[in-house]
Amino acid sequence: MSEQKRQEIQALVNSGVKAATAYERPDLATRLSALTVKAAKPDTTIAVLGQFKQGKSSLVNSLVGATVCSVDDDIATAVPTFVRYGETDAAWALVPDDDNPEGRREPIPVDQLETYTTERGLPDAPFEVKGVEVEIPRKLLQNGITFIDTPGVGGLGSAYATAGLGTLSVAEIGIFVSDTSQELTLAELNYLQQANGLCSNLVFVATKIDLYPAWRKVVELNKAHLARAGLEIEIIPVSSYLRDEAMRLSDKKINEESGCAHLVRELRTTYVERRESNVWTNAAKDVLSVCEQLSSKLEAELSVYEDPTRTDALVSELENAKTRSESLRSNLSRWQITLNDGIQELNADIDHDFRQRIRTITQEADNAIEDGDPLTIWEEFEPWLVDIVSQEVVSNYRYLTERSMALSHEVAEHFVDDGGNLLHELNIYTGDHPMSKVQGDLALEMKETTTAAKGMTLLKGSYSGMLMCTMLGSLVAVAPLTPIAVGVGLVMGRKSLKDEKARGLKQRKSEAKVSVRRYCEEVQFQVGKDSRSTCRKVHRQLRDHYTMRAEELNRSTAEALKAATSTVQTSQAERNQKVRNLTAEIGRVADLAKKCELVIQSERKA
Amino acid sequence: MSDVGVRTNAILEKAEQVFAGTEALVEVHAIRERLDGPLRVAIAGKVKAGKSTLLNALVGERLAPTDTGECTKIVTWYKDGVTYNVDLFPTGSDQPKQVKFNRDDDALEVDLGGYGPEDVDRLEVTWPTSSLRRITLIDTPGVDTLNAAAEKKTFDFLDPDDTDTPADAVLYLMKHIHSSDMSLLEAFHDDTASHPNAINAIAVLSRADEVGGGRIDAMASAKKISKRYGEEKRLRRLVQLVVPVAGLLAETATTLTETEFRQLQQLAERKSNEIGPYLLSADRFIEATPETPLTSIEREQLLGRFGLFGVRQSLALVRSGNVSTSSELAAGLKERSGIVKLHHILSTLFMGRSEVLKARSALWRLDRTCAAYPDHPGSAELSLELERIVSSAHPFRELSALASLRSGWIKGRDNDLETLEQVLGVNGTLPSQRLGLDESSSNEELRAAAAEQHQRWQRLAGNPMVSHDMQTVIDVAVRSLEGEMVRLSADRK
Repeated sequence: MSEQKRQEIQALVNSGVKAATAYERPDLATRLSALTVKAAKPDTTIAVLGQFKQGKSSLVNSLVGATVCSVDDDIATAVPTFVRYGETDAAWALVPDDDNPEGRREPIPVDQLETYTTERGLPDAPFEVKGVEVEIPRKLLQNGITFIDTPGVGGLGSAYATAGLGTLSVAEIGIFVSDTSQELTLAELNYLQQANGLCSNLVFVATKIDLYPAWRKVVELNKAHLARAGLEIEIIPVSSYLRDEAMRLSDKKINEESGCAHLVRELRTTYVERRESNVWTNAAKDVLSVCEQLSSKLEAELSVYEDPTRTDALVSELENAKTRSESLRSNLSRWQITLNDGIQELNADIDHDFRQRIRTITQEADNAIEDGDPLTIWEEFEPWLVDIVSQEVVSNYRYLTERSMALSHEVAEHFVDDGGNLLHELNIYTGDHPMSKVQGDLALEMKETTTAAKGMTLLKGSYSGMLMCTMLGSLVAVAPLTPIAVGVGLVMGRKSLKDEKARGLKQRKSEAKVSVRRYCEEVQFQVGKDSRSTCRKVHRQLRDHYTMRAEELNRSTAEALKAATSTVQTSQAERNQKVRNLTAEIGRVADLAKKCELVIQSERKA
Repeated sequence: MSDVGVRTNAILEKAEQVFAGTEALVEVHAIRERLDGPLRVAIAGKVKAGKSTLLNALVGERLAPTDTGECTKIVTWYKDGVTYNVDLFPTGSDQPKQVKFNRDDDALEVDLGGYGPEDVDRLEVTWPTSSLRRITLIDTPGVDTLNAAAEKKTFDFLDPDDTDTPADAVLYLMKHIHSSDMSLLEAFHDDTASHPNAINAIAVLSRADEVGGGRIDAMASAKKISKRYGEEKRLRRLVQLVVPVAGLLAETATTLTETEFRQLQQLAERKSNEIGPYLLSADRFIEATPETPLTSIEREQLLGRFGLFGVRQSLALVRSGNVSTSSELAAGLKERSGIVKLHHILSTLFMGRSEVLKARSALWRLDRTCAAYPDHPGSAELSLELERIVSSAHPFRELSALASLRSGWIKGRDNDLETLEQVLGVNGTLPSQRLGLDESSSNEELRAAAAEQHQRWQRLAGNPMVSHDMQTVIDVAVRSLEGEMVRLSADRK
């Protein structure tokens, strides 16, 4: 979105604030002022995910042009790194905190990042690191972009396999990274499908094209795989190595060859700007809705002055509207009941869903333990358990997302049905006023502002990202089995060894089962706490949003009614004067509305 | 023939008598036949780990087809023989069918004769070549692929439900250790004591040049990684060693042509700052300006054969002036690709033990046969005797002790455990390898070292603080040392 356009919309918002203040509607003015701050900085979080050793960290480094994520031929990334804009270089470690479920931040030296982020870890670290935040002064990040470099899937000893997926819960864009040494594997395709369910803006970045002469063929093969799987994801081939060389030599040609220039453009135009444009368009829509509210009073007044014979009919209509808007505010209104019941149901269903999932896992785990010796299978078993549990956490989150979206739509429907749009339904607009011309489109825009657009952003704001991003997969450790001396019985034959082994086996099995249960319970507790608090936040946000709208409507209808009833006893001359004034005022408001509408339409076309 | 070989042969003869006239006799004959044949080494790994490429490098010919896409879909055996021949074994049938093949464009092209890949159990390629004389190589389809049928074949092959695995040893190829690598490796292994781990498998970091992004120092980096992987607890249980090999370069080095050498020479004649920018990426190398030597098609072919890493290495070698013929270049590249080291390890670790490994497979399979006929007269006695051989023959005890050490069950000082592994032959069974000495060490030096170690371990074995398990391992190591001392004394005379 161009700077000019931004300023244009900002001007509209400012006029909106001015108008609302002039017509003594501080509530609407506040709503628009709050918008200004938000619209200026639409944060875009981009999560970089994929299997390990595919070049995720290199990609982030070469995109921002700084070594913020540690890159090594061998050691892989172990915790997520958040890279965002800051005036100076600074870094923090995200540390779990008993008092705060979101964790706390500990400053760490910028030049020692890799000790905190890689598999090698910091053996004597003073705290347990769940993630790292880095701020650097880079232009690319300046318009609110945050990159999350995630630990790759499949590395040994990395219990964070699903953490990458978890970060999608707070990310607007997901970059899936796979190198061009070979076509997609089954594991990768499955992963992509999971990711696709969590994030609607996925980009596939094919890395290391400098190294593999046949990268074009790999990309073609992958396109076919994606098409077969029904995934509509764009593939962008890049070489981080060439990008780094380009930066070093300040060579634009190499930069283009690296594909990174294209990727950055693509991210900017297709994703970041689209989001930015959405935020600004929504701002314009809000101004539009404010215009409508302001004009309702003026229109009511005007129609009384123009045709006093209609006063009674108008007053009764406005009284009716006022009653409806009052009932919207009441606890017994349908949208409130839908919301309250819905949240309760949501809470119960999400909880039940997760319990069900955990139950299946516990059964499966029990079977596995029953079939083998916990001691020999434990090393594979434990990561399997952690992995499958965190996958279920992600699936549960997906379910929560879908259900909350559905609920938010339902509440919106009921709000509108019960009078959320009652201002349009009023007969106060006379035929040739400019305001009535925009009414058709305006109605549509209004509905969008109050309903659909809210869903996903609302939820992203509600979810406590800390759990999904950083705690997942390492919520709690599975209790280790106490090592029981195994009679290795080297020289003994197989049969005698079996006897020896059988003694401890039973004990080990029951111990292993207890350990699995304890782990699952702990996870259930954590996830339950988190999803309940998410539900609470969703509830609060929806309630606040619609209560505010109801209040505004109520005030608008009340003022319109007051205007209609208090204008009766004036002289003809005064009336004519009033009509002229009001027409001019309505014209101004309608003008503002018209401008908003034009902006919205042009953005929609772009 | 060694003691184990003699005893295994003897028990098989006995088995022939016991099972004479029953269906099991066919199985016993098969076991014998296998004992006399070459060692079977399977090459396994995830899809695109470079299995076929490495197989070609080991054979020294471009036999197995390789491609950017997934390629090997059928388990294929490559064995030595008198004539060039390819047999196809349809699924569920023991009767092989001879099929047509051609080899116009290097790689073998087999006409499946109407069979789809999913209907074929395996292909057997007979190829008269000295490199297959002592070893039969088995190429397997990769796992973790979008082709589920091929993956199932590999799992069935390495971890069959009914019979023992057809391979005596495994080369496991991987790009990095991924958790799915682990599950495949684990499938090949068995946790019972007579079937110990980490004694018949080597992990190969098969695209070693790529871990370092094809940089000139990539192999050094790969070596460091292999070393660390070698210390990884889970992997130690499963494989003896982790060896880095730049597969593509190895394949090319063993099949280098004069034309390719001349082309590289032409490139190397140009100044490095002139060629340098074209070596930044594969695309740049192919699409270089017309003034660059060679046509872009030739350069593309070179790149396909050498990879960017190989081209960089070759140019560095030619420029260094130490290489003036194609065979010198081939030797240099082989050395750099790590294939020389792998050959060496194969011959000492697998071939040096080939009789024991084969005997082990044979005894294991015979035991299964006995178990299948528990009521047959003589079967129980045979089973007991089998157990006696397995538990008393020194080479088997050595393998068990080694496996126990690798599994981390034995507690002791790290330094002690490491030396014990060495004595038990983790790096190979040559005296110098067991004693951790240079290969050029003299007989005297070796004997002195053996005697010194012998003393050291005997002293430790007498220590009451040492755990029972550790003592058992030490006893085995002492026996191994005694054996070496006897052999070394005999060699001197």
